[in-house]
Amino acid sequence: MKHAAKTTSRFLRRFWRGLREWCGDAAYERYLHSPGTQAGSCRVLSAEEFYVEQLNRRYSRPNRCC
Amino acid sequence: MKRVFVVVIWLGVALLGAGAFGKIAFDRGEPLNATWFVVAAVCCYLVAYRLYSAFVAAKVLALDDTRATPCERHDDGRDFVPTNKWVLFGHHFAAIAGPGPLVGPTLAAQFGYLPGTLWLIAGAAFAGCVQDFVILFCSIRRDGKSLGQMAREEVSERGGFIAQLAVLAIMTILLAVIGLVVVNALKSSPWATFTLAMTIPIALLLGLYLRFVRPGRVLEASVMGVALILFVVVAGQWVADSPSWSRVFTLSGVALAFAIIVYGFAASALPVWLLLAPRDYLSAFIKAGAIFTLAAGILFVRPQVLMPPLTRFVDGAGPVFAGKIFPFCFITIACGAISGFHSLISSGTTPKMILRESHARFIGYGAMLLESFVGVMAMVAACAMPPGVYFAINSPSSIVGGTEDAASATISGWGYPLQTQTMTDLAHRVGELTLWNRAGGAPSLAVGMAQIFSSTIGGERLLSIWYHFAIMFEALFILTVLDAGTRVGRFMVQDLGGRVWKPLGRTGWMPGILLSSAIIVALWGYFLYQGVVDPLGGINSLWPLFGISNQLLAAVALVVATTILMKMGRLRWIWVTLLPMAWLVIITMTASYQKIFDANPRIGFLAYANAMAAQIAAGKIPVEKIAETQRLIFNQRLDAAVTGVLAAMILVLIVEALAQWYSILSRRKEPALHESPYVATRWAADFSGAAHGDD
Repeated sequence: MKHAAKTTSRFLRRFWRGLREWCGDAAYERYLHSPGTQAGSCRVLSAEEFYVEQLNRRYSRPNRCC
Repeated sequence: MKRVFVVVIWLGVALLGAGAFGKIAFDRGEPLNATWFVVAAVCCYLVAYRLYSAFVAAKVLALDDTRATPCERHDDGRDFVPTNKWVLFGHHFAAIAGPGPLVGPTLAAQFGYLPGTLWLIAGAAFAGCVQDFVILFCSIRRDGKSLGQMAREEVSERGGFIAQLAVLAIMTILLAVIGLVVVNALKSSPWATFTLAMTIPIALLLGLYLRFVRPGRVLEASVMGVALILFVVVAGQWVADSPSWSRVFTLSGVALAFAIIVYGFAASALPVWLLLAPRDYLSAFIKAGAIFTLAAGILFVRPQVLMPPLTRFVDGAGPVFAGKIFPFCFITIACGAISGFHSLISSGTTPKMILRESHARFIGYGAMLLESFVGVMAMVAACAMPPGVYFAINSPSSIVGGTEDAASATISGWGYPLQTQTMTDLAHRVGELTLWNRAGGAPSLAVGMAQIFSSTIGGERLLSIWYHFAIMFEALFILTVLDAGTRVGRFMVQDLGGRVWKPLGRTGWMPGILLSSAIIVALWGYFLYQGVVDPLGGINSLWPLFGISNQLLAAVALVVATTILMKMGRLRWIWVTLLPMAWLVIITMTASYQKIFDANPRIGFLAYANAMAAQIAAGKIPVEKIAETQRLIFNQRLDAAVTGVLAAMILVLIVEALAQWYSILSRRKEPALHESPYVATRWAADFSGAAHGDD
């Protein structure tokens, strides 16, 4: 029983993490932890700046299909 | 022992799939149960994935997991982001799954369920999935370069330019035809029009929330948005029941076309965070939910497929669109089996996020298999309704007759019994004023989906809600493709226009944004308008044109893939891309020829134009209609010219590729492969992928 609860909780945690990654919720956290940002070679964007910049990039190339 | 067990399991899956396929193909008794379709499709997909994709991965492409992928070498947290393969599969599938695999099979159901289902499954396994997989691999090996860049580097400069033009052409026709599908779904339907109109303020609200209140919190905003959308689906009924509000939202085809054109322009010119992106989030969640609900509904309800395996319209005289099975079934199915547009996604975002080369098999090949399954479900939903009802919804009045009784008599005369009262009752049950002549595939698919959904939850009481939910789902994500496509088209116009007039190329310059948005919207808007006013229903001419351009782009992608395989020295295996490419060239060329030159005015653009010109010359057209008829003649000639240009583009590209192949095979030229240099992965010791959520 305990094992089943543990497995379910692990599955739900993974699902939640996957869902946040899939929909873009975790994008800013990813950005903050990326090697490029960690290196500190350029200014780190705020959450708001990152959100707008990311959208501008994403929607300037084909990203939705027929 | 374990190996024998595995072989026995796979043999069992293969035999089950073959048995189900045999049942679908040869059973001529009682109506078939939809479960056979699901079993046949799933077993074929499993075998194709286990055997064919493994063969392509190991022998043809020789995927190398010791090689660092672009996201490892350039990890910047923006474009190049190492991503768990399941998450990336979801991203990739959400990007490639559009309205095509829903609408195409629904239209192709006019031939019966058999030809479309066979092509959906076989075409995906041997052509569509291969294209997506190979192009994804090629792009990974080139730091995520686009199809156009790869065509330029690996085939020729001209090849790259042709690929770029082909993308712009397909984009223009695609946007027009999906706009037409929306128009036909919303025409004379205040409930559906209100629901879709309300998605705009909801998206704006979400846009402001995500920008200023909780930047980037997509999940919570989407939950709120989806709840609001479900509310407006229900509220649409109150609008439809109110005589005054109902009048406001009952729009003609032309009015809806102009509304969509204005919307497309606004979505392209406004900041992306305000309207386009939030609508895309909503669409992604509703799309995923509706597709999974449809799959579950089909498994739960197990509807009977009432459409025969082959209808009388295999002779080419179909009311939905004219033309024989070959080549028009393949052109019509398009995206559900193979879509050229996917090559843009496979050479866009996905290669920049993939963790290892071996994931390309799961993501490239696997996601296309899932898309094909969506197509099979759409086919089941369309074929689960009585054929008479299917033809009544999808046939234009110019074919079946102007009055309801005349249309019933015509359709019954074809051998598909239909009572006028049946259509009146059905329209009433789904909350529509009428379901006659609603060509485009969306309304008939919505009826099929609503019947499956309501048999699962809510019964007859919720049929109208489910119908409008299905219409909203289709229209919402069609408009998402439309606004995202218009914006990308705007960038293409700016890119091409910037070569002629530099300021136009500046993407931040407002007059340039407005001008380029107006150009791309005018291009697809013109085709949309001509489709709406076309007496043959628009779909008859525009959908084949879309299919031809889409398959043409797939042929372009496969030409590039074949050239790259040749340069890689995989001559022995080039049939993997060469055969689907040859097949696509044959069907696009045959369809193009027939659409231009066929003597049947319902098939050939020129024959239709000449027939109308002859009617004017014979004085059979009333004076007040002459100008309108002349416009129709011009449109038909324009469609013929566009088809000719599309066919010419692929011929030029093939000649370019043949010259390249000849010089490689005759060893006149050392094949120059433009791959990024090999860099060993630093993640070799960490191949469990745990550090990147790949568990």
